[in-house]
Amino acid sequence: MIRKKQCVAMLLAGGQGSRLGVLTQHMAKPAVPFGGKYRIIDFPLSNCVNSGIDTVGVLTQYRPLELNAYIGSGAPWDLDVSQGGVYVLPPYHTGATGEWYKGTANAIYQNLPFIQQFDPEYVLILSGDHIYKMDYAAMLRHHIEHKADATIAVRQVPWEEASRFGIMNTDETGRIVEFEEKPKNPKSNNASMGVYVFTWSKLRDYLTRDEKDPNSSNDFGKNIIPAMLNDKCVLTAYSFNDYWKDVGTIDSLWEANMDLLTTPLPIDLHDKKWRIYARNFGSGPQYVADTAEVNDCLVTEGCEVYGRVQHSIISTGTIVEAGAQVIDSVIMPGAVIRRGAIVRRAIVAENAVIEPGAMVGAGEGSIAVVAQNVTVPAGDTVPAGTQREQ
Amino acid sequence: MNDLMGLIYTGDNGERLGELTSVRAVAALPVLARYRVIDFVLSSLVSSGAKNVGIILQKNYSSLIDHLGSGKEWDLHGKRQGLVFLPPYQTPDNIGVYSGLMDAIRSNMVFLRRSRESYVVVTDSGMLYTANYDEMAAQHIRTGADITLMYTTNPKIKRSSVGHYIKLDEEGRVLELENNPVNPSFENTYMEAFLIRRELLIELADRAVSRAQYHFTRELLQQAIHDGTLKVYGWKNDSPAWRLDSTQAYFECNADLLRPEIRRQVLRADRPVWTKMRDEMPTRYVPGAKVKGSLLADGCIIEGTVENSVIFRGVHVQKGAVVKNAVIMQDGYVMSGAHVEGCILDKQVTVRDGVTLCAPTSYPVVIGKGMTV
Repeated sequence: MIRKKQCVAMLLAGGQGSRLGVLTQHMAKPAVPFGGKYRIIDFPLSNCVNSGIDTVGVLTQYRPLELNAYIGSGAPWDLDVSQGGVYVLPPYHTGATGEWYKGTANAIYQNLPFIQQFDPEYVLILSGDHIYKMDYAAMLRHHIEHKADATIAVRQVPWEEASRFGIMNTDETGRIVEFEEKPKNPKSNNASMGVYVFTWSKLRDYLTRDEKDPNSSNDFGKNIIPAMLNDKCVLTAYSFNDYWKDVGTIDSLWEANMDLLTTPLPIDLHDKKWRIYARNFGSGPQYVADTAEVNDCLVTEGCEVYGRVQHSIISTGTIVEAGAQVIDSVIMPGAVIRRGAIVRRAIVAENAVIEPGAMVGAGEGSIAVVAQNVTVPAGDTVPAGTQREQ
Repeated sequence: MNDLMGLIYTGDNGERLGELTSVRAVAALPVLARYRVIDFVLSSLVSSGAKNVGIILQKNYSSLIDHLGSGKEWDLHGKRQGLVFLPPYQTPDNIGVYSGLMDAIRSNMVFLRRSRESYVVVTDSGMLYTANYDEMAAQHIRTGADITLMYTTNPKIKRSSVGHYIKLDEEGRVLELENNPVNPSFENTYMEAFLIRRELLIELADRAVSRAQYHFTRELLQQAIHDGTLKVYGWKNDSPAWRLDSTQAYFECNADLLRPEIRRQVLRADRPVWTKMRDEMPTRYVPGAKVKGSLLADGCIIEGTVENSVIFRGVHVQKGAVVKNAVIMQDGYVMSGAHVEGCILDKQVTVRDGVTLCAPTSYPVVIGKGMTV
């Protein structure tokens, strides 16, 4: 017997994240490491539990292995509970039909029976490509107070960037009157964050109707929201203006990591009341050797630093040998930077090895990337702006 | 080995550790930046295949229970088995304080009887080391021993006159056991851990207590070796080991572990040491920080100078502060201009602006939990 839940969260984690290039070659975007000891998905998952939401469906599709293994039983986020918890939901075959998730709305549609088990009042739709701390409970209260059918989290973006987003035009009460996907001439700068609360009974109807439309691309932004607006449903905007960073591109991922090196922190990860939880791998403390020089960095457990690291993120279990230099870079878990290697303005992915004297990136120019498990041979160069796949 | 269970005795209160153990058992003593002493034995048991571990509690056990919780971090939160706390309780023949290890075992006979494993490792928690108990068990079975004692030849550990020292023949059988000698005559130090068949332990505990023998080593074991009534063998553990029986020993243990070659023998990738999580963000080395030769946990903010030190979770060293040859436990706060050298700062200690705390490393000073200097 499954207990009724007020709100179930559905986390869309199926996207390939192709703009992250070689970093998502072997894993889905939400599984990409971030900030030394986290993965992107730790942020929405931790936000859920911190907001009191203990039932989360994670919709996976693209290269789910790493993500599945990472989520496991959900224990790191206290989501290993007997009533609710975290569920990984891949697309499945139903006999006659069965297919991949066609779009964001279709992904939820295919999991109607999953949501229905909990008989929720509300469903929270999340995506797995942003770094932010958000109280979804406050958004849910806003939704209930406004007797809304749907509530869309929005934030004010710089006007010159507004045409890159889905823009919500609202009236003076905050009710959404118009939605424009990437408008050429935006009427407002309230951009959708891709975080939605729906009254479940409403959403269920719209998803079912949308599914029957062969011309629909089964997408929340393109189909469901416009259809609801068209029918004069109550859609409200919930304004969120704290730190929120898209990490969907190499540049933005690098920038978001670098944000953690600013004082004061733009996103406070020391906050004991809103911890960001992550899986732990039993590494030892970090060791900073006599030969090391560590300045303006984040370093975490299991790291051993013998070389020079400057303005960089040094992730779990990384080794920087004596005489190696890491500057303005993100070194992902388990990577090894050997003596004399120089890494500048780069992202070095998990378990990559930069052999002695190799050069990755440059003092200026675009971010260089070394993919997971790749060894850059001694003396080799990975130029700025390039990606090393093997 | 699946047929192995553990019983950890935390009754030793470590009076000689002074303030560090006035609020906690030695087993709960923070060590190596992010661990507690018990993590090492517990994780070793888990890596050796034990899935059923009893923790015998004595005094001041709240920090231990808080630390171990449901045993989840050690994968000991199972339904069939897992971590079992065995606090003292009052019965018609027990006053609620264990008189010794055998008394503690006798009081927890129900737990032992209900367990399914054939072998049990019974260990004290006043030493820091890791162990392959599965190897120990394999030797125990091979030699047909009744009891196998874990020992070390690590010379560092012998200096203290408190302890037990054993003499072995070529086959590894224990011929003699010395109890707290002024000058130990044997180079093998008993590590206060033994392996025994569970049924035999039950039998021995019943018998010992009825004869008012409450102490395992100095009463039961010494006599059994002397009379030859039990086949007692030694198993050598090559792990680095420290007996944490004084502030100085504790300080030295932390200093030794600053050396990578020693630390690697204790923290091995193939046998991880698990501990309670705090989900702190990585440590921030703010521009201007100078850190050398130190171990740090997560959640720290380092703005000043840190050398040759062990820094636990959530410590803040402000700009201009200097920390040298020190151990600073969880949530310590060293304010700008302060100078801390040769000290052990217990949890939540604040050292205010401009204060200098200096002690020779041979005689470290302890600042008690929660103090402001």
